[in-house]
Amino acid sequence: MDAPQTAAGRFARRHRFRWWELLPWIAAVAAFFAFPTYLAFGTQLLITILFALSLDLVLGYAGIVTLGHAAFFGAGAYTVGMLASHLGWNEPLSGLLAAAVVAGLIGLVSGLVLLRTHGLTLLMLTLCTMALLEQAANMGAHWTGGFDGIPGLSFGKILGLFSFDVLYFRSQYLYVLVVLLLCFLVVRTLVYSSFGQSLTGVRENLLRMHAVGAPVRARLVIAYTISAALAGVAGGLFTQATGYVNLSALSLERAAGLLIILILGGYGRLYGAFVGAVAYMVLEHVLAKAYPTAWQLGIGVTLVMVALYARNGIIGIGEALMRRLRGANTA
Amino acid sequence: MVLFIVSVGLSVTMGLMGFVNLAHGGFAMLGGYLIVLATKHWGLSFVAALALAFFAIAAFSVVLERLLYSRLYRAQELDQVLFTIGLVFIMTAAVTLGVGPETQVIRLPDWLRGQTNLGFMTYRTYSLALIVVGTLIMLGLWLGFERTRYGARIRAAVDNRRMAQSMGVDVGRLFTVAFALGSGLAALGGGLGAEILGLDPNYPLRYLVYFLIVVAVGGLGKVSGVFFAALLIGVLDFVLKIYFPKGGTIFIYALTLILLLARPQGLFGKKGA
Amino acid sequence: MSTARLETKGLSKNFGALEVAREVNFRLEAGARHALIGPNGAGKTTFINLLTGALAPSKGKVLLEGEDLTGLPQARRVKRGIARTFQINQLFRGLTVLENVCIPVFERMGLGGGMLRAAGRRAEVLAEAMRLIEMLKLGEDAGRRIVELPYGRQRLVEIAIALGLAPRVLLLDEPAAGIPSAETHILLDAIASLPRDIAVLIIEHDMEVVFRFAERITVLVNGAVYAEGAPQQIAANREVRAVYLGNALDA
Repeated sequence: MDAPQTAAGRFARRHRFRWWELLPWIAAVAAFFAFPTYLAFGTQLLITILFALSLDLVLGYAGIVTLGHAAFFGAGAYTVGMLASHLGWNEPLSGLLAAAVVAGLIGLVSGLVLLRTHGLTLLMLTLCTMALLEQAANMGAHWTGGFDGIPGLSFGKILGLFSFDVLYFRSQYLYVLVVLLLCFLVVRTLVYSSFGQSLTGVRENLLRMHAVGAPVRARLVIAYTISAALAGVAGGLFTQATGYVNLSALSLERAAGLLIILILGGYGRLYGAFVGAVAYMVLEHVLAKAYPTAWQLGIGVTLVMVALYARNGIIGIGEALMRRLRGANTA
Repeated sequence: MVLFIVSVGLSVTMGLMGFVNLAHGGFAMLGGYLIVLATKHWGLSFVAALALAFFAIAAFSVVLERLLYSRLYRAQELDQVLFTIGLVFIMTAAVTLGVGPETQVIRLPDWLRGQTNLGFMTYRTYSLALIVVGTLIMLGLWLGFERTRYGARIRAAVDNRRMAQSMGVDVGRLFTVAFALGSGLAALGGGLGAEILGLDPNYPLRYLVYFLIVVAVGGLGKVSGVFFAALLIGVLDFVLKIYFPKGGTIFIYALTLILLLARPQGLFGKKGA
Repeated sequence: MSTARLETKGLSKNFGALEVAREVNFRLEAGARHALIGPNGAGKTTFINLLTGALAPSKGKVLLEGEDLTGLPQARRVKRGIARTFQINQLFRGLTVLENVCIPVFERMGLGGGMLRAAGRRAEVLAEAMRLIEMLKLGEDAGRRIVELPYGRQRLVEIAIALGLAPRVLLLDEPAAGIPSAETHILLDAIASLPRDIAVLIIEHDMEVVFRFAERITVLVNGAVYAEGAPQQIAANREVRAVYLGNALDA
């Protein structure tokens, strides 16, 4: 086959859906029927996937290394929580929208300020922003419930039809799944657009991006804002699904855990968020309660190994294996 | 002052070597535990235990540095972050397994307990001792880096690695030494500070942000900068906690944020660094 | 005198006491094939950085077709048609050759911010990128990632990216450095096949490349213009030979 034509064709077709892209969704629906008693956990899992997906947009595609992504998750979670507890605004969909707007605004403002820096300084700044929000939530006890957070929230029916299922999380699970699917489509479209291509350019070579005349900072701020809004949606879903919000939504543990999930799955790959979240959370679910220390040790060892040997995560390992298999076939 | 002793070590690794070392607090914690074990079970005196912790952790860090860290010197920050967070988890888990999850208490020798009358005010003896030790370390490091050939070499190697290498400086060995020194100091800080900061397996994560802030504010690789930054933040923290007991730290984060934006090189860093 | 495509007037730059550009008056005519030579540290790359706006001059002006560009940031100058390559490759290393070349084309066509339509569906971008890739004989490697290519091939991508901006002024910083001599002809052919309207300024140490390519040569020494003229004039200039060319030609 003609090499240039193949390359051009592959580029022109890369955004098309492939059959295996249906698999995660089939699995998610199948899980709904197969594990009716685990849907609370499943809902958490789906929310985490969405959160990881939002991080993937900035970290994996735009190459912005942040330790403070939980800031936006928390912003969304508290927005929904505070609206419901103080204003009695408990319609779920508009609540999510509000969460996205608030988190997106915070992302926009902090992005405008922070994204002038990079590397270590940026890392520190994102960390500080998150810590700042955490402290603000801690202090504004009247609004946020301080250290204890806002417990016992209840929300209206989704679309006025489906009420939240406190015991088995059935409607929450499906609701979150649908939101995740919509957000995923947004991210997927972005990633394969020329905007997405431009973001990967920034990630791969900042100097050259300037030299081809790209408005680098504007691109980064836009990506950061969108990502923040998505993280806000994830946070909002968290509050709605569980009926509470507290300081852990804004914690370094959440931000670091998310980073681990994404890296574990493979960043800059869309489905890394899925694989990482499933692998991490299922293992955590199984191991962490029985052997918390072993779990921590395992995570530590895994991280070290990933950083040293498998920088593209589980999906990366899969890709390498596939390549080797294919190479063996043609040889 | 405790902040200074721990942070200055971090400044050495992060500033001088340009390595994002989130595991630094881990070395401090290990140092602290070593001192607890040494004084409690092996009957060493406090001072001897400190020395032991310093050298043992320094040696331990050399092993890690040679085997693992050195592979990541040129890697992206992301990998460095992941790797060192991983190390923190391992250290935390190891300590939990080996010693247990409860908070450890360091038994100070009698001569460090109680109060000392300075004439104009009385003060806790231990705090005074910390101030003296901290100042000594700062002076020692400052002299070491700014005034000796070894320090000059390290600074040269950081400035321009290839140039230094071509001039016959063994950069690899230099970094190993600097790393050992940084970790040793962390261990010292961990041990000395355990009385005030507490010591339990979550220590490295809990104080991570603090250490990082001190280093960032002080300017990477600036010993005196870190000293003053630690002082500043320590005092600020203390004052704010008295006047705004609930949300004192928020000001520290806000200040750090503004400061880093205005002067990414840190309060005392060189311009254009 | 007609307006030059690109002109500098009294362009100076100093870092503290170090003067890296001194009162440089320089004209790059439309359609020029101009070479900038000089010993290491003469300030050649600095000069390019001043032209592109990567560095701000301490004094003096940069004019594009008579229009003052001096205060404009780099991105705006690129939009006006100034493109450059780098002495040391600055490529999107994890991406394929095709993606590398598409990125500047997207930017030039103002599509870099487009979020809805898939990049692959921009047939015009794809066609333009493929045209450039074929022009630099990179067709076989179009689907390969940069990291998988030998350095010499990477050098060609470097040029393809600059060409993707459809420049009016092309600044080439030592394009032949690192290309095996057997392959320099691909580079020279590519430059030769550029539309005559593009003004090309090349910094090069390889005198063979310089004399085959240049119709005019400027010699820069210690940040100042030392000599300028047609190639045979420069080759005949004793002082230039003594300062620089002598060593290069003998070597």
